[in-house]
Amino acid sequence: MSLNISLYTISAVLILDNEGNRVFSKYYHSSLEETSDSQFETSSQQIKFEKSLFGKINKINQDILLYDNHLIVYKQTNDVIVVLVAKINENESLIYSTLANLFEAISILLDNTIDKQTILDKFDMVSLAIDETIDDGIIIEYDPATIVSRVTNPPSSHYDVNLKNIDISEKGIFNALSFASKKIGERLQQGL
Amino acid sequence: MSTSSYKKQDPYSSTAGLPDKMAVFQECLQQFNATPVNAKKCRQLLAKLLRLVYHGETFPSQESTTLFFSISKLFQHKDVSLRQLVYLTIKELSSTSDDILMVTSSIMKDIQGNDAVYKPNAIRTLSKVLDSTTVHSAERLFKNAIVDRNPVVSSAALISAYNLLPSSKDVVKRFTNETLETIQSYKQFPPTQFQLHEYYGSATSNLPSTSYMYQYHALGLIYQLRSNDKMALMKLITSLSEGSSLKNSLSIIQLIRYINKILLDDSSLIGHLFPILSGFLKHKSDMVELEACKTLVSLQHLIRDDQFMAIVTTLQKLLSVPRTATRFAAIRLINKISIKHPEKIMVVNIELESLINDSNRSISTLAITTLLKIMGAGTIDNGSGGSESVDRLIAKMTSLMDEITEDFKIVIIEAIENLALKFPSKHKKLVTFLTDLLRDDGSLQLKTSIVDALFDLIKFLPDPSAKQLMLMNLCEFIEDCEYTELSVRILHWLGDEGPNTSNPSYYIRHIYNRLVLENSIVRSSAVIALAKFAAVCGGDVAKNIIILLGRCLNDVDDEVRDRAAISLKFINSNKKKLIVSDSRYDLYTLENKLVHYLNDEENFNEKFDIDEVPVISNEEYNSIEYNRKINKLENINDNSAVTEVEERVKSPTGGEATPGDSLANDLLKQQEYSQQLSGVEQFVEYGKLTKSTIEPVYLSERESEIAVSVVKHLFIESKHLVLQYNINNTLPNTVLQDISVVAQPDNDLYQEDFIIPLAELRPNDTGIVYVSFTIPDIEEAELLSAFGNTIAYTSRDVDEDGQVDPNDDGGWPDEYQIDDLEVLACDFITPLYNSNFTALFDQLPYQDTSVVTINQVDNLEKAIEKLKNSLNMMPLDGSDFVSSGEAAHSLKLLGKDVWGGKVGASIRLASTGGKIVAKVEVKSETENFGNIVISSVY
Repeated sequence: MSLNISLYTISAVLILDNEGNRVFSKYYHSSLEETSDSQFETSSQQIKFEKSLFGKINKINQDILLYDNHLIVYKQTNDVIVVLVAKINENESLIYSTLANLFEAISILLDNTIDKQTILDKFDMVSLAIDETIDDGIIIEYDPATIVSRVTNPPSSHYDVNLKNIDISEKGIFNALSFASKKIGERLQQGL
Repeated sequence: MSTSSYKKQDPYSSTAGLPDKMAVFQECLQQFNATPVNAKKCRQLLAKLLRLVYHGETFPSQESTTLFFSISKLFQHKDVSLRQLVYLTIKELSSTSDDILMVTSSIMKDIQGNDAVYKPNAIRTLSKVLDSTTVHSAERLFKNAIVDRNPVVSSAALISAYNLLPSSKDVVKRFTNETLETIQSYKQFPPTQFQLHEYYGSATSNLPSTSYMYQYHALGLIYQLRSNDKMALMKLITSLSEGSSLKNSLSIIQLIRYINKILLDDSSLIGHLFPILSGFLKHKSDMVELEACKTLVSLQHLIRDDQFMAIVTTLQKLLSVPRTATRFAAIRLINKISIKHPEKIMVVNIELESLINDSNRSISTLAITTLLKIMGAGTIDNGSGGSESVDRLIAKMTSLMDEITEDFKIVIIEAIENLALKFPSKHKKLVTFLTDLLRDDGSLQLKTSIVDALFDLIKFLPDPSAKQLMLMNLCEFIEDCEYTELSVRILHWLGDEGPNTSNPSYYIRHIYNRLVLENSIVRSSAVIALAKFAAVCGGDVAKNIIILLGRCLNDVDDEVRDRAAISLKFINSNKKKLIVSDSRYDLYTLENKLVHYLNDEENFNEKFDIDEVPVISNEEYNSIEYNRKINKLENINDNSAVTEVEERVKSPTGGEATPGDSLANDLLKQQEYSQQLSGVEQFVEYGKLTKSTIEPVYLSERESEIAVSVVKHLFIESKHLVLQYNINNTLPNTVLQDISVVAQPDNDLYQEDFIIPLAELRPNDTGIVYVSFTIPDIEEAELLSAFGNTIAYTSRDVDEDGQVDPNDDGGWPDEYQIDDLEVLACDFITPLYNSNFTALFDQLPYQDTSVVTINQVDNLEKAIEKLKNSLNMMPLDGSDFVSSGEAAHSLKLLGKDVWGGKVGASIRLASTGGKIVAKVEVKSETENFGNIVISSVY
């Protein structure tokens, strides 16, 4: 049983949707160990791993399992699963806490609604939260409140309203009108 | 634009909203180069870009560089939130772009600045764009950042330094003092860096003032810098473990790992370090407790039994926490302990029983297997009189059987089988349990596993009455078996085993019933089974069977008729060999040979020579099977066990990954050696290779300049021993020439024949030197010997092209002493299995006894391990298992020597005052061989 004395703890962070497709995937390759497994070298290997892992964990809320010589912890809500992959001998409780805290941080940032659409809409926040939690496989921060506090909100629009962006020429208004009529047409058709 | 954004709303499409790569690329170039930059839009664009990156898309190097360049334009904009995302994007793109150095100055400016929000991001990004040549310019920045009062900045700098270790360790080494200072310091989050989110309202007061993560990162870095200085490390550990200088759970875990590492290198420090570790067993954080348990369990050989109890108590507590991950970790550890020391964890029985119905399947599986092991140990510990505990185990199992799913039943069945194999004296109740289970309802899969278990038990249990009982149960089972597949297997088995029992007619009756009542597939296998009875038993039995088979000639099915006809023919003409065989070809070698044969059409000119394939007698085959079973049982350690059980539980059809095929591989290896040696002309006249050591023995450190391993080949017919020295030249710039090995036997009866030297060995090549000896006869006293080995060679330097410098003076001769090599009894023995050791042992004619002290071991377990290796004999009757705390033990070993005789050893071991004394009694069929075995025990 080899002992991991480096700080490199996490092998991958994944967010998968309800069909096992990736929403977010980041594999960390530790630079200190030359003999790190090349299991996730190529994109197709990664996707294969994700697909088969998804088959094991989808709709089975068990929090933790050993799979394919990795320690897997995950949380599933709505239509997404957040997964952390670590080495098989890693401290289970540590990895799970990291996941739970990351999950809490994301859920604060997304106003308690973690689903695929919200994640995609606020992808900048989610990416930043993950980056503030884990960097290169090293756990940076652990406290959800601190993680949240490190993630910046997107620039607010009123601060950046630029009159130049609003086209008030004749052509602009015409465009707006035609767009509106097209939309209304579509809606009506759907209604019928 | 409008339609595409409308499409994006569709949440049901699988690639919903994944933006087009080239469109994003174009838009990025456009927006990032615009003046003034629209911060909001750019952040959205960067998010889109990141979505592509995190989806696994990559940009070609050219485009990535262009992108990188335009992103760097965004540094002009002052918006904090945009800058933070810019850094993340740069970090993600840095691995694929070319001109990453151009952003260095912008990043450095940000680090020197006072904006706390993106300063950490800037530092972490900086380590990605630096390389070993430019890292010097950032040295000052890093030093300042490490000692920064803001913990996030400090952490970022420490992590960056950690990431720079592989490329520029010398620079990072200069941060040692700053890092040390950071571990002990107190840093507080500055109030300004916080971004407010609705969840927290406007108050930042309920946020922690610091999370001490910098301690963890500093500790990780300092270890990498100090890892080869043991004294400094000890000092660090001692100072940090006092009081509560480490506030962060992660850093404590890290500290525990360093303690573990130190103890692995130098176990004498356990007295000093154990109190520290055991202190962590009672910590407020369960991950620290868990890490302490993990470490102590892995070091359990250093710990006294009473100290061990503290670990078990902590684990017991962890078993009942609500968090699944922690329970899982605890049961995983307990399961690991149970493999070697089941008696130590009996106290957690109640917790385990309640975990059987845990909602997490991995936990319940582990709970069941662990429970079985503990109960198994319970039955053994109570000795021969402990029939109650077997009863209790069976009672518990029976009640379990109603509650659990079929997958778990299979796990239990296998465990019971293993128990019965390991401890044959307890088999009765266990067998009854299995046969009872066979009568209950169940799927084909469940029945198959029961039948498999019974087959194995029939094969390996020594007690003939138990065999009889199981066979009879199988007979009963096929009377009412709905699965054709199983009936066929059982009939085949009855044919093999039935004739050798005391009442073959009982089985014949049952088999004949099948012939009347079943479908054609079962009928045809029944015909063959009957034929076996006729062939083996002969006499009246044969006569009766001929009558029975005669009736089958009128069967409606042609297969049954054919089989009956050919069987009758064989019986009448007394061709017993064609019906029952006592040996078989080694299938692995056969397959290998056939594949080899088919690969080349030229081979078709000659007939395939079946004689090249070794024939394995049933006895030897049983040895292999038995070994495989037992190995499988023992190798079930932590990881594989869980995954394996998991795999099997979840995918019942999935075939097992060839565990324990090592023996088959050994045979293959032997074949390879034999082929290799037959290629050397000097060895052709030596005749057939009798035996080779399978694993090369290393005579030097594997990493040393010239790494040498040796394989011993024995030609017993022509009395030769060939030593094959595999020499690996690991020197990068040196060619070795005229290499030979001087092997000096300490036994005068060994005559050196010749040496086949090696002309030249280039760097990183491996070559072979053979040394051949004529060995003495078995009749002539001393057969064993030790060899002193020296390599002699001429070493010459080579230039970078690998050419030997023509001007040098022919190099200089050198010698290199390597470890000694011993020829021991194990070189003359192969393991052999027999279910009835005692009876066989008494029959062997030649006997030798002696009393010896076994060196270099301090407990019985290790002594047995050593004996098994140095004699290469098979431990029987489960006698290689010692329950801990026992002071005396008796080991029964059986093997076959290279002259074809059986050799048995009954070794009584006693442990007194840290020494192991053995009374060895060896009996052999080959004269004088007992002596050799005894001399190999020391």
